[in-house]
Amino acid sequence: MDTQTQAKWDKAAPNFDVMAGKGAEKRWRPFKEELFSQMDGKILFLALGTGLDIETFPSGKTITAIDISPRMLEVAEPRIASYPGELSARVMDVHDLEFADNSFDQIFTSCTFCSVPDPIKGLRSLRRVLKPGGQLFMFEHTGSSYYPFKPMMDLMTQLTRKIGPDMNRPTVDNVRAAGFQLREVNNLFLDVVKTIKADNPAQ
Amino acid sequence: MDSRLYFVLGDLGSNILVGLFVGWLCSLIVATGWNMAFTMILTMIIGMVIGTVLWLPLGILFGAMEVMLPVMFSGMLSGMVVGMWATMAPLEIYQAATAGSVCGLVSIVIVWVMNNSARGINYCEGES
Repeated sequence: MDTQTQAKWDKAAPNFDVMAGKGAEKRWRPFKEELFSQMDGKILFLALGTGLDIETFPSGKTITAIDISPRMLEVAEPRIASYPGELSARVMDVHDLEFADNSFDQIFTSCTFCSVPDPIKGLRSLRRVLKPGGQLFMFEHTGSSYYPFKPMMDLMTQLTRKIGPDMNRPTVDNVRAAGFQLREVNNLFLDVVKTIKADNPAQ
Repeated sequence: MDSRLYFVLGDLGSNILVGLFVGWLCSLIVATGWNMAFTMILTMIIGMVIGTVLWLPLGILFGAMEVMLPVMFSGMLSGMVVGMWATMAPLEIYQAATAGSVCGLVSIVIVWVMNNSARGINYCEGES
């Protein structure tokens, strides 16, 4: 378990909803609802955080959620309890998933790989637990290729990574590097906020 | 751009506010006769930092990246324009604030134009 990352997010948990729970969630909600409407089969969701995304899940699904921060999941408890379906949450590090190989039909992420310390290792770990032919759906913010936003985000990352996420991750490239077969990249704001769909190719 | 009125007005208001504040602040800092190139760099950095700080309360209301990047850009542009102007002639507060507000407005319009060309599906299966 990456205790440094865990401590960072445990510290952020009490005030996380103040910063992320209003404007950002309201702005992103239609896109998340559309992405999560594709949930089907046995689903792994990471990282659940304080459970802000639960309201956008379709009802009646079987979802296993993980997060590295126990404090985040404590805040999420009432939201987990109110989900109209089977939703369980566990403290787990994406680098060291405790699930057996080929456990899930689909994996969903929501603003996750801006914060995973070794994103390619984390994505390879997801491939291991995803069935061959299984699908990866990501709602992520990444770095930008546009000037002046690229240098701004590189600069911001020096500050933000101490208290939260990186701002300049090349997540689409990381998905490819981890061995996923990219299916679709949909830019929602500039080339920064996006949905990524990829498949786990059959071995 | 986001077509929901709440976010359109939020984006406009946030960027005009940041531009106004940075313009006003830079007019207080910069004195006539300062080296223009040095001042431009200094006030761009000040504007960007102020934009980042103001993003914290504005971001709670209107969003994350969709607010952070434009207001940093507005701060940078307002700082640059007002800072350079202030090296050439003494500025009244209302002149600096107006110029800053206009820079904020121009910035968000530029971001909207860029966003309209960037957004949408840009990769589909089969492309390299």
